[in-house]
Amino acid sequence: MAHVHEITVWTRGVVKDKEGRDVANALAKAADKEGRFTQAFDNYVDLPDRVNVPVRKYARISDEEIEMRYDYENEKPEVVVVVDATMVKGMNILRGMNKGGVLVVNTDRKPEDILKFIPNKDLLKAIACVDADGIAGTATVDFSGSEGGVDAVGLGAGIAAPLLGAVARATGLVKLENLAAVVKNKEALYRGHEQTVVQTIN
Amino acid sequence: MAKEVTLSGCAAAAQAVKMAKVDVICSYPIRPYTAAMMELAKMVANGELDAEFIHGEGEHAQLSVCYGASAAGARTFTGSSGVGVTYAFETYSPISGARLPVQMMIADRTLDPPGDFGSEHTDAMSCRDQGWLMGWAETPQEAFDNHLINYRVGEDPRVMLPQFVCQDGYFVSHLPGKVTLPDQSQVDEFLPPYKPPHALDTKKPVSHGPQIRPDQGVIMDLQRAQAFLDVPKVIRGAIDDFNRIFGRRYSPFVEEYQTDDADVVFFIQGAHALTARHAIKHLRGKGLKIGLVKLRFVRPFPTEEVAEALSKFKAVGVVETSTSYGGAMRGGNLLHEVRAALYDAPKRPLTTSFMAGMGGEVIPLQEFYWMAEVLAKAVKDGRVGKYVYWVGFEQAA
Repeated sequence: MAHVHEITVWTRGVVKDKEGRDVANALAKAADKEGRFTQAFDNYVDLPDRVNVPVRKYARISDEEIEMRYDYENEKPEVVVVVDATMVKGMNILRGMNKGGVLVVNTDRKPEDILKFIPNKDLLKAIACVDADGIAGTATVDFSGSEGGVDAVGLGAGIAAPLLGAVARATGLVKLENLAAVVKNKEALYRGHEQTVVQTIN
Repeated sequence: MAKEVTLSGCAAAAQAVKMAKVDVICSYPIRPYTAAMMELAKMVANGELDAEFIHGEGEHAQLSVCYGASAAGARTFTGSSGVGVTYAFETYSPISGARLPVQMMIADRTLDPPGDFGSEHTDAMSCRDQGWLMGWAETPQEAFDNHLINYRVGEDPRVMLPQFVCQDGYFVSHLPGKVTLPDQSQVDEFLPPYKPPHALDTKKPVSHGPQIRPDQGVIMDLQRAQAFLDVPKVIRGAIDDFNRIFGRRYSPFVEEYQTDDADVVFFIQGAHALTARHAIKHLRGKGLKIGLVKLRFVRPFPTEEVAEALSKFKAVGVVETSTSYGGAMRGGNLLHEVRAALYDAPKRPLTTSFMAGMGGEVIPLQEFYWMAEVLAKAVKDGRVGKYVYWVGFEQAA
């Protein structure tokens, strides 16, 4: 069985729901372009969401067919993306992660400021901070893509774009040009990629 | 040109319904089928689909609206999940008794208590004796295809029966998969317009669904039962045409995977067949002669096809995903049907059932391996240990 790369995105219900979903969907779509096997989906068991509640979105990328397509959650995420920086505090956002993972946070703070809130930071190989709010300026709110619906307004028009740039920069999991092919705000994607501050930990 | 897209089962169902040029849609939200209606509502709102979109007050109203619309000659679509399916229960027999080919999507959800979004087939299977066609899809693609096939079969003048078109909640309804969307011209070739013989018409008044005497009731029951005897041949014709027009390779009733030299098989319907295939691939790598028989229609139940397919093997494990509390086999519903189908077969395999995927739990590869061990042991012992195994809660194979 081939290794399945698991990416978990933490975001907040309703207000940043689409942005979180966009990160997962864009990663899967970009990896699709590389001929890989992918999945992207909302966490089913804690939905339907409510305003500001913590919710998760998942992406999976593999070089071979994904056999356990139905697992509800990413049990062992190797990349965790946090769409709202306040979520790093008081929640085990790295749950399930094996040693050597990567954390990407939407924040204008420095990596060392964020790491203070993460008691299990030893699991991380690297942390990447990007001021996605500052770069994209806005969060897109749209519900068309929720509950298995088809997204009607396109991927990565808001803060997902710089976050995706940061993921590409910190992990190399998908190619930046393939993200650019699926993301609406390409400038924000590139700026996110450039301006991301990556700190290697272990 | 046909095109490949990535769609959830809900979105795939909506695309099929759109391409079937449905006339009347009645919605009421309940997870997990809701996105099918979200998609159709968008299509109607933006002018992609010219249909009446009606918000029902509940599931009973949804079915009642479709009952009337279908009687007036409209192609109709509705859907539900879990307790929504059972809330509408009263309406199912009147619709099939009126011989109206209403189509209802069911994206399974466990029945309460206490309220679980997971997929279990019990919601739909509870309605299996109401005179509706019923079958499951394994993937969003199969869901898309089944909606078209069911309209074609249900509206055939030899059939005129409603259809439950089922897909597992979440596993199929919410997880996107690759779907090849055909050309509209292909769908038009496959699916003729709906022309009921006795549509409500103010210029030619007729009565539908009047109160009748007991001696009239039995005739209607008999006709419905006889119509079901004709359904298999209509399904065969529809599948032949579907495969030809859309370039697919469906078997009408049972699909076999890795069965040529198999000693034991899983018998299964719906989403978990996908994981079962992967399990079989690995088990075969270890030398176990195991395969899979997938059921595509549970109503009408393909008695001869199931008997013929299953009597080739030494042991059959029915993977249930539904319950029949206190039933003859103390487990799910499918084992009853399988054993009844095999009763007159000259050669009968050992049969047992596995309660797996209950409550919407994922059936991991390891559980399929465990079930295979139970079947292998049954073959070795010449008998099954039990008629029902609650997988994950048993001591040993």
